[in-house]
Amino acid sequence: MTNGWIDIKNTDMMLIMGGNPAENHPCGFKWPVEAKKTRNAKMIVVDPRFTRTAAVADLFLQIRAGTDIAFLGGFVNYAIQNDRIAKDYLVNYTNAAFIVKDGFKLPDDGLFSGFDAGGMTYEKSTWNYEEGGNVGPSSGGQSATAGASGSVSSETTGQQKKSGDEPARSFEQRSQPVGSQPSTPPGSSAQGGGHQAAGGPGASGQGGPEPPPILPPNVAYDLSLQHPRSVFQLLKQQYSRYTPEMVERITGIPKDQFLKAADLFTSIRKNGDMKKAATIIYAVGWTQHTSGTQIIRTAAILQLLLGNVGRSGGGVNALRGHSNIQGATDMGGVFDIFPGYLKIPQPSDTDLATFIKRTTPTPSKPAEWDSYNYWSNTPKFMVSFLKALYGDSAKKENDYNYHYLPKIDRKFSWTEMWDEMYAGKVKGLFAFGMNGVAIGPNSHKNIEALKKADFLVVCDIYPEETAEFWNSPGISKDDMKKINTTVYRLPGAGFAEKDGTFVNSARWLQWKYVAVPPPGNAKVDQEILARIFLKVRELYQKEGGKFPDPILNLTWPYTTPLNPSLAEIAKEINGKALADLTDPAQPGITIKAGQQVPGFAWLRDDGTTACGNWLYSGSWTEAGPLMQRRGTDDPSGLGIYQNWAWSWPANRRVMYNRASCDPSGKPWDMERRQVWWSEAQQRWVGNDVPDFKVDSKPDDHMGPFIMNPEGVGRIFAPLAAFADGPFPEHYEPFESPIANPLHPEQSINPVATKFKSDLDKLGTPDQGFNVVCTTYRLTEHYHYWTKNNPMNVQLVPEPFIEIPAQLADEMGITGGEKIKVSSARGIYVAKAMVTRRIKPMIIDGKKTYQIGIPIHWGYRGIAEDEGKTSLMTANQLSPAAIDPNAYTPEFKGFLVKIEKA
Amino acid sequence: MSSSVERFDERARREADRVGTTVVRRGELLRHPVYTRVLHWLVAITFVLSLLSGFAIYSPWLFKFLTPIFGGGAMTRFLHPWFGLAFEVFFLFQFLNWLTPMMWRESDRRWLKRIKAYTTNEDKLEPADVGFFNGGQKVYFWAIVLSGVLFLITGILLWFDDIFPRWLVAVSYVIHDLAALLMLAGFIIHIYEGTAAAPGTFRSMINGTVSERWAWTHHPAWYKAVTGRDPRESYERERRRQSDRERAIQEWEREQDGRDVP
Amino acid sequence: MKMSNPQVFQIQEISAHPGPVPGLGTQRAVQVCKYIDVTTCIGCKACEVACVEWNDHPFRETTFDDTYQTMPSTDWNYWNLIKFAEDERDGNLMWLMRKDQCMHCEDPGCLRACPADGAIIKYENGIVDFNQNNCIGCGYCISGCPFDIPKFNQKTKKVYKCTLCSDRVGQGLEPACIKACPTGCLHFGTKHDMVQIAGLRAKQLQEHSGFANAGVYDPQTIGGTHVIYVLHDINNPERYGLPKDPVIPPSYTYWKWLAKPAGLLMAGLGVLAVFFHRVAVGPRLPQPEQPAPVESQPDPIEAKRKEQP
Repeated sequence: MTNGWIDIKNTDMMLIMGGNPAENHPCGFKWPVEAKKTRNAKMIVVDPRFTRTAAVADLFLQIRAGTDIAFLGGFVNYAIQNDRIAKDYLVNYTNAAFIVKDGFKLPDDGLFSGFDAGGMTYEKSTWNYEEGGNVGPSSGGQSATAGASGSVSSETTGQQKKSGDEPARSFEQRSQPVGSQPSTPPGSSAQGGGHQAAGGPGASGQGGPEPPPILPPNVAYDLSLQHPRSVFQLLKQQYSRYTPEMVERITGIPKDQFLKAADLFTSIRKNGDMKKAATIIYAVGWTQHTSGTQIIRTAAILQLLLGNVGRSGGGVNALRGHSNIQGATDMGGVFDIFPGYLKIPQPSDTDLATFIKRTTPTPSKPAEWDSYNYWSNTPKFMVSFLKALYGDSAKKENDYNYHYLPKIDRKFSWTEMWDEMYAGKVKGLFAFGMNGVAIGPNSHKNIEALKKADFLVVCDIYPEETAEFWNSPGISKDDMKKINTTVYRLPGAGFAEKDGTFVNSARWLQWKYVAVPPPGNAKVDQEILARIFLKVRELYQKEGGKFPDPILNLTWPYTTPLNPSLAEIAKEINGKALADLTDPAQPGITIKAGQQVPGFAWLRDDGTTACGNWLYSGSWTEAGPLMQRRGTDDPSGLGIYQNWAWSWPANRRVMYNRASCDPSGKPWDMERRQVWWSEAQQRWVGNDVPDFKVDSKPDDHMGPFIMNPEGVGRIFAPLAAFADGPFPEHYEPFESPIANPLHPEQSINPVATKFKSDLDKLGTPDQGFNVVCTTYRLTEHYHYWTKNNPMNVQLVPEPFIEIPAQLADEMGITGGEKIKVSSARGIYVAKAMVTRRIKPMIIDGKKTYQIGIPIHWGYRGIAEDEGKTSLMTANQLSPAAIDPNAYTPEFKGFLVKIEKA
Repeated sequence: MSSSVERFDERARREADRVGTTVVRRGELLRHPVYTRVLHWLVAITFVLSLLSGFAIYSPWLFKFLTPIFGGGAMTRFLHPWFGLAFEVFFLFQFLNWLTPMMWRESDRRWLKRIKAYTTNEDKLEPADVGFFNGGQKVYFWAIVLSGVLFLITGILLWFDDIFPRWLVAVSYVIHDLAALLMLAGFIIHIYEGTAAAPGTFRSMINGTVSERWAWTHHPAWYKAVTGRDPRESYERERRRQSDRERAIQEWEREQDGRDVP
Repeated sequence: MKMSNPQVFQIQEISAHPGPVPGLGTQRAVQVCKYIDVTTCIGCKACEVACVEWNDHPFRETTFDDTYQTMPSTDWNYWNLIKFAEDERDGNLMWLMRKDQCMHCEDPGCLRACPADGAIIKYENGIVDFNQNNCIGCGYCISGCPFDIPKFNQKTKKVYKCTLCSDRVGQGLEPACIKACPTGCLHFGTKHDMVQIAGLRAKQLQEHSGFANAGVYDPQTIGGTHVIYVLHDINNPERYGLPKDPVIPPSYTYWKWLAKPAGLLMAGLGVLAVFFHRVAVGPRLPQPEQPAPVESQPDPIEAKRKEQP
């Protein structure tokens, strides 16, 4: 979330799409309700089904699953056409005025410039800004090359020293919900997050001999936004194709309803008024598509266009589907990042300097503007991280043991991991805190993959589908004998049996306490992991090995090595000084060696600090565990609650909050004042922690989006930020009832990953797969756990399939009757819930039905063990097609056919 | 004794022997054989139990007094339908037993017409056409039949209230109570008539017999049917006999008076 | 909200209790009220779970019934149930979710109908509570309730329903369902306050959300309730499964409180009538009447016989 749960109460307008917060985030949903009650805020819900969120909405639109970009693109078009945009915000806080390189081509035919049909990738050199200065009408339009230059280096070197006495630095959010799929990787962020040329592994180039293109330090711009190659004009052109008629053809939302929604949502910028704010709330209904990241990008563009980012009651707000999925993402729970969203080295990053050079961006902006470029601190974060990993053995001489780090040569995302296991390359799996068979797409393939593995270690609190993959339906006793996988089951502890932190969607680190001790032989995760690690280390000590150093030199400084306390680990993550630290900007303050650092501003790249995750730095300082705070004072009334727990970064509650003020530093809305420029103090002050360089005068024109090298929000995302284009374009889901009406010849995302194994089949309408199917969770259940809990089973006892009443009538299906849903990959049998809450849709002139399947059941659980279900997982049906940026599978919007069972 | 009485007596004995023994003395007639009497008291007992347990629930003013008899409110509630059911079953037998004598006749209509004269004891003797049961008894009988049916239907509705519609149960509640009131009214009159109001009646349900005098007074037609004698004649003869006797006594008394007071 | 005496509520009415309620009218009492904003209920069932957990109800088996609703109706061990209704009118689909539980009527039909002394108690604060110790299991309360709330337990032969968490409220806490509600669609406070807040919310819905018929459900036909709703459409509470003008069946009101005593009185009069009939009119003796035998005097005829040898 750019903002936070509580901040939603400050909004005037909500677009809830790709998420069902009333059902999946009921506690957080109190804040949208609060906004409705206290501010008369309007709520627009767009979903394939009429959900419980829709039940309390002011306006509900039923959309075809997977067509969100078309819908949001239509909003962008509507806002531009009707001049409902935040002009000042757009010019000053986004890259709307930047000029894009000649040769860049919009995807009228479905492809951006630079497509390489052979590698199914883009060559992205044209996805860049034009070098130069002001090319706008005021300067005669031809000063592109005459702009000031050379002022860049001084900024990057000088900034950290100039920073104030508080950790007034910010960070670019890079947190997408993976929601219900804990092990799927994080999305890339809406506003970039991809650094210039920082193409991930397997993205564009492999970092060959040719250096990748970089962003120009001095960008050409046109403040009048009239230049045909200005980002704004390109945006306008791109989405001019997303007319209400086109939106209707693609999404199935009738034109009049779409216009009603567009008018309502953009009404907050009627007549250029900047007072009001609108928020966009989403969850994995957006992420879980082959264009998932780009859907979120479209929302971000819309919010930048309307000037809603950084403002109280605004923002692009990802609702995380599990209590600590945000924490998992922050701590590097994905294959291509380290904690704090630091990049993982590639084979070409031969030493630390090379790696740092590749991953540390330099500013790229109009010469007259200023850019904080906070990621310029990457070396400090990286070195401190290495010190935290390897302690004393990490020295400047040995590149802080940089060479211990794994270098990834290809993608190891969730789906790819299973694919490689199925191909016999991955030989074993540790499954902690997740039910791999059930949560992954194409479950059948996952079961087949596990059959080929040598070993499987499952740590869980229930007997579940992964641990008992060998007992899944269709495997006979004889078949079982042929499975040679050794399965180890470890007794884990439940969430209430552990302490530690949960990081919520609002980025708060909140400490929780043990409610009950783990039963029997069950052990907390860190003890299990510690025991495994110490045993492995012992083996390396005894037997040596190919490369024992990373294991032998890993720091393990815990009081109880066999069971490290999470408090110690939290302190380690916060970071500490390894030598006495002083800061010229804060004379008189010394952080003594061994003390906790007060925040990431104190981190050093010379090995004098250690920090497990720079983002969490400040959460457990010498002042104590700030994450345990329970202060309920809220003087501003905006729900900031500065003394409740601790929010990354730097206890800041709304990110990019500099953008809540006009360029002169005055809040757009005085009633919702977050931060502002104080002339008297000559610094940024406010109710929240300013997400800015606190002493940067408004006249300096420093961009509020300090994590981007541009300093401004990216409407156009240059270079390798995204694999599939600088602007979002609507592509059909991999399995779609129609060809893309925008460009039938390029119907699907050209760079989304397709798997080629014999079990990765895709269905087409011609084969009879003509019903759009989406999967989701129910409020009564929590993933695949609660089917073991009598209370939850009482609330919803059995699996079911929601089907439209009209379809049921046509097929003669009555409610409660068993039906069989099949996709190209598998079948699923459950009782039908016949509902009027899903209507038939007209998609590109074709009557189309959608159905929905809650995912919660499998082959172990109360109902399952009593023989009341068909023992199938819903994900038998879903395809392993993944988004090229976040690698999230397309759980929503695939094709099935329905029969009576 | 006339031969008809002997004949009747023999038949009555034979019938009564099926279930018990009724001793019929001289000057008496068998009115209720053992079967009838036992049945009557079974009906009576179950009725009283139903009544008491029902009235315990009927009114808050009686709840406290009556529920302890049955072991508390819940037990009262539990027993009441079973008492009622027993009453219904026994009464069904009684109904079959008495169906013939209880059939409504023209004479009963006439009896009802002069009910006022009956209640004020205007005529010492019942009209000659009053048979085994008089009109009032038949009304009571049929009232029990009616309320018995109502009790059964509404009772079942109230007993299994969760499977019937709410309004039906609510209506049943009223009807059940109305039936109870009807029964109660009849019950009060029944007891009164059977004891204090008509001496000689109660024993008919205990011993099974009534005096001939009772018979020709209250049920002349029945008297005639079982004895073959004209009730009026019997009455007159008895009256004469009695006045003769009285005269003799008076004479004797005078004699005695004369002796004492010379 | 402050309770003057947190441990014991002042009883206002007792079922089937002859005579006055002890202590009534000696204190001022706060009227409590639960306010349910149906327009912000998301059907999450947290209240259902809280109710089951707080009251330690056993789990029970349910079956899929073509709906999100947990079970068809409340039960003796399930006092709080969200009722789901897909309501489509003129092409406008609404998914109505209403938390169903005891309404704690000001004029409680269950209490009116109850024949067992002290089985149903209404406190002065408006809570209508069942005391199973006194319940006789007759089930009259079931048919006396206009909202179909009290439920019979076949095993214990007693009737149960929501207590408005009188045990919690007595300790100054809100009912469990209120505490569990995540969206704040459930409120608890004094009746006065709740009616006012609900009224404001209804007004807001009328003015800002396009629900011209929004209103507060506090049916006066039963004297108001201590659970009130804000509905989008107050004119058609049937859409939510609520009776438009709930009434206690007349059989439980004037029948019970008028006709019943009258009937008893008549019965009493009947007994007196026959008694005085006996006194005034006398019995119908078998004719001809025989002179009553006098115990102390020997039968003169017999005496005469004895004298004559």
